[in-house]
Amino acid sequence: MKPRMKLLRSLILRPLRRDLPRTLLTVLSVALGVAVVVAIDLAGDAATGSFRSSMETLAGKTDLEITANGGVDERWIAALAALPVDARFSPVIETQAVLAGVGSVALYGLDLLNLAGAPNGLPRVAVSEALARALPVRPSAGTVLTLNLAGRPQRCEVAQLTPAGAAEFVAMDIADAQQVLARYGKLDRIDVSAAPGQDFAALEATVRHTLPAAYLVTLPGARNQENQRMLRAFRWNLRVLSYISLVVGAFLIYNTISISVVRRRAEIGILRAAGAARWMVLWMFLAEALLFGLTGGLLGLALGRILAAATVRLIAGTVNALYTTSRPAPVVLTWAETWLALATGAVVALVSAFAPAREAIQVPPTEAMSRGAHEHRARLAWKRALAWSAGFAAAAWASSQAGPWDGYPVGGYLAALLSVAAAATATPATVLAVNRATRTLVRRKVEGLLAARSLQSSLSRTSVVVAALATAIAMMASVGIMVGSFRQTVALWLDVQLRADLYVRAAAPAAAGVNPPLPPDIGAVLSAIPGVAAVDLFHALDLHYAGERATLGAGNLDVVRRYGRLRFLPGQNRDAILRSLSAGDGPNRAIVSEPFAIKHHIRAGDRLTIPIGPHMVALRVAGVYYEYSSSQGFVVVDNATLRRYLPGQPATNAAVYLAPGADAQKVRRQIQLRTAGMGISVAPNSELRRAAIEIFDRTFAITWALEAVALVVAMLGAANSLLALVLDRRREIGLLRYLGASPAQIRGMILTEAGLFGLLAAILGLALGFALSLLLIFVVNRQSFGWTIQFHPPGLLLAAALAAVWSVTLLAALYPARVAARLVPAEVVHEE
Amino acid sequence: MPAPRLELRGVSKSYANGGPPVEVLHEISLTAAAGSITALVGRSGCGKTTLLNLAGAMDFPTAGEVLIEGRSTSSLSESQLTALRRRRVGFVFQFFQLLPTLTVLENVELPLLLSRAPRSAGTALDRLRWVGLEDKAASLPYQLSGGQMQRVAVARALVHAPDLLIADEPTGNLDTTSGDQVLALLRESAARFGAAVLMATHSAEAAAIAGVRVSLKDGRIVAIDRG
Ligand SMILES: Nc1ncnc2c1ncn2[C@@H]1O[C@H](COP(=O)(O)OP(=O)(O)OP(=O)(O)O)[C@@H](O)[C@H]1O
Ligand SMILES: [Mg+2]
Repeated sequence: MKPRMKLLRSLILRPLRRDLPRTLLTVLSVALGVAVVVAIDLAGDAATGSFRSSMETLAGKTDLEITANGGVDERWIAALAALPVDARFSPVIETQAVLAGVGSVALYGLDLLNLAGAPNGLPRVAVSEALARALPVRPSAGTVLTLNLAGRPQRCEVAQLTPAGAAEFVAMDIADAQQVLARYGKLDRIDVSAAPGQDFAALEATVRHTLPAAYLVTLPGARNQENQRMLRAFRWNLRVLSYISLVVGAFLIYNTISISVVRRRAEIGILRAAGAARWMVLWMFLAEALLFGLTGGLLGLALGRILAAATVRLIAGTVNALYTTSRPAPVVLTWAETWLALATGAVVALVSAFAPAREAIQVPPTEAMSRGAHEHRARLAWKRALAWSAGFAAAAWASSQAGPWDGYPVGGYLAALLSVAAAATATPATVLAVNRATRTLVRRKVEGLLAARSLQSSLSRTSVVVAALATAIAMMASVGIMVGSFRQTVALWLDVQLRADLYVRAAAPAAAGVNPPLPPDIGAVLSAIPGVAAVDLFHALDLHYAGERATLGAGNLDVVRRYGRLRFLPGQNRDAILRSLSAGDGPNRAIVSEPFAIKHHIRAGDRLTIPIGPHMVALRVAGVYYEYSSSQGFVVVDNATLRRYLPGQPATNAAVYLAPGADAQKVRRQIQLRTAGMGISVAPNSELRRAAIEIFDRTFAITWALEAVALVVAMLGAANSLLALVLDRRREIGLLRYLGASPAQIRGMILTEAGLFGLLAAILGLALGFALSLLLIFVVNRQSFGWTIQFHPPGLLLAAALAAVWSVTLLAALYPARVAARLVPAEVVHEE
Repeated sequence: MPAPRLELRGVSKSYANGGPPVEVLHEISLTAAAGSITALVGRSGCGKTTLLNLAGAMDFPTAGEVLIEGRSTSSLSESQLTALRRRRVGFVFQFFQLLPTLTVLENVELPLLLSRAPRSAGTALDRLRWVGLEDKAASLPYQLSGGQMQRVAVARALVHAPDLLIADEPTGNLDTTSGDQVLALLRESAARFGAAVLMATHSAEAAAIAGVRVSLKDGRIVAIDRG
């Protein structure tokens, strides 16, 4: 043990200390990679982990939940209570209210008789203590609060403060809730809690048997699980993106260990001659990598914790906009996460160091191969590397053809990884080719000649750095192309989708899965306004289908047919489909959105059975239409079909089509005037379009942040490697000075080299980026979200990004260039 | 007698690496005229390389003056020094002469390229022919023998027709035949190109071609031997 430690100290640790800037750069790049992974994981947990209803603390433990789309009829409470079981059946209304100074909070209507019967006519509410603390003025019993319910102000009197941990909510008696929300006779759910001693299976069976088949009886965790399942594709994609920085970091460790091995070839030879075992040499270089991995992992953990706190709002915003309401929970760093971070750092370090470390043990004893000869051999290997590259590319293609695996686009991810490998192995050939192509150009200046030659002569090392930089650029380019294409697709789709001139909805905070009802007479009010040609009343209801959440929509499809532009998959006749849905005779028909069709393997002509209110309804799928607002999907029927099963269901949205020549502004004002006090918001289609694009951009903000980190890691790598190249070529640089090179020429040489690095990385990165974007668009996104994205590469953005990358590479080279220009020739030229 | 190409006037050099300064050269005075060959001899560590660096304006004296073509090196700016090296000084070393990434011809051409001189390739090829290695023009340095590398280095040191050729143990690493070839080239440098040659050497053969032999001991001149 002792001699080994001594060896480690002299061969690994001392050089690390001597090269402190480079050591720090390597550790920092690993740390950033780990930090991003940790941050995304922690922030994802915090942003999505808080669906658990905060009312558990208030109403006690729940054993079963009863729900139905369109609401649960409250008459079932009495029917259930009459059952010969020992259980409590509690009606629940759960909605969102806006409180000045706090924003959106949960509002529960529960059987809280102690709150009922206010003396002064105001409903009495219980406020959770956490919410009370968050309010600008801390309420006490008797304080009057104004809740904003779907746009309508509602004054309430605080009856009590309820201790409920960190949960923020307002609760009132169920009767009061139904009254203030105008939801007579309907509940959001019924919670069942069994008395001790009651046979649970029997209870569940009895309850199921009593209720209509379309009612959903689930365990309380089911909703949470459903939410997690709904979010898993989203979280996986974020997670995979976060691994990019790690891949880039892995390249850099590979590079650092390679440099370390090349520099110590002579020492390794001497050691081996002196009888050191191979495994001991291997162990030493792996120990060096492990040192980078563990220090980087530890630093990354701390950094990730900080980053998580900064990104949790961003992720929660996306979850809210796209999936379901959630309130971000505090970020919690668990032991599991800590070990994971350290293990990630260590594994990445060991894996990426293995190849160069193995090279180290293959150094034959006493043979201290010169760098020139070593690099010469590497140069000859480019053909073999290119063959590998072709193999990887073929494997990538094959893997991209595979279908999803348990809902995950595993083949797509694998193909992406194989593509990176293909690009990495194609790097040496590319370096040589670009060098050849630019030969006459760079020869014009001696700095160019020297830079190009040095790049070529340290091919194996250059290739790794170029590959790292190219991977970062490729990720940026591919995600840029994917997001740009997606954005353009969505924008075009919005143009088609939002054909109505004005859109009406309840003035409640917008969130996915929350569809507050409009007043019952809204259709009549809107139709009566001069200038209005047609009104399409739309109903959005929760739908649970095959264990996944979706939206059941009902609209006036005849209006949609005449005024709208809904687009169907190729080969489907829009007019005929919509006509058949609104015909009113024959079987019930529906159309489904593309993500729903892909997720559940449904095609036009298939039969689909879904719950509508208390009924299980069989529908024939007449067509599949393009839809980009939700990856959960829609099933849409005509209003007439919905009314058949859920009479009196209030509409949630209205689309107003104007008569030719009508003034949209005037009509909008008329609507506002005639619906004053109903808590309604009216927006022209341009505003909706803008809002949708805003949500889109906010959704992808986190993606850009991840990209930026990957790039920073790559930049650190570029600076790191250039510094290594400068230090290794000290004597050459000294010699050049003796031969009449000015410090400016030396600086120019290093900067030219950096410029070539950047150029090479840009070429390779762009090529790889295009390949990856195709994978993201046509494999990963399609399999995880079910969207058909049209290919629209954002040319200008890409050009700007590449220019930025290139400039930053040059910027990263400034320090190494300065070091090179300041070397004292008389000192370095006689070294060794 | 023409004005000396190189003149050292009472030059001293000391190094202070943290501790008290150590004097490695003490009040050296020396001149070298065009076409002359001067050999520096003495034990290892006596200060030969240090003196050559001072003479080639790659380092500066702590006391006294080094004059190249009558101008003190200490008074020149960085860009003037670069210009001086480009035009007036050529270097030959014992080890590590050539840039491994450049071809032989490019190595010879390098000083001209660095100073952006016109028609550099033609001149370089001329010099390469002079040292008898034109057929190796396209080779890479690792494909040459040590003696061939040294001849390429001499060709390079003379490619810009410097006034002053500084050679640090040019034959130290070579066998007798190669050494003789290099020495013949140095002699020709002085005779044909009119350079003032200043050479540090341990070898008697090398010292024999010099018109002046300067013996150093512990940084001091102990003898000057002409003839
Ligand atoms: N940068 C430096 N800092 C401190 N001392 C130095 C430095 N460079 C040289 N010396 C010292 O100056 C003295 C002369 O060194 P120099 O290299 O000139 O000797 P030399 O005569 O060329 O020897 P050799 O024949 O072995 O090449 C030596 O004692 C050396 O240790
Ligand atoms: Mg010496």
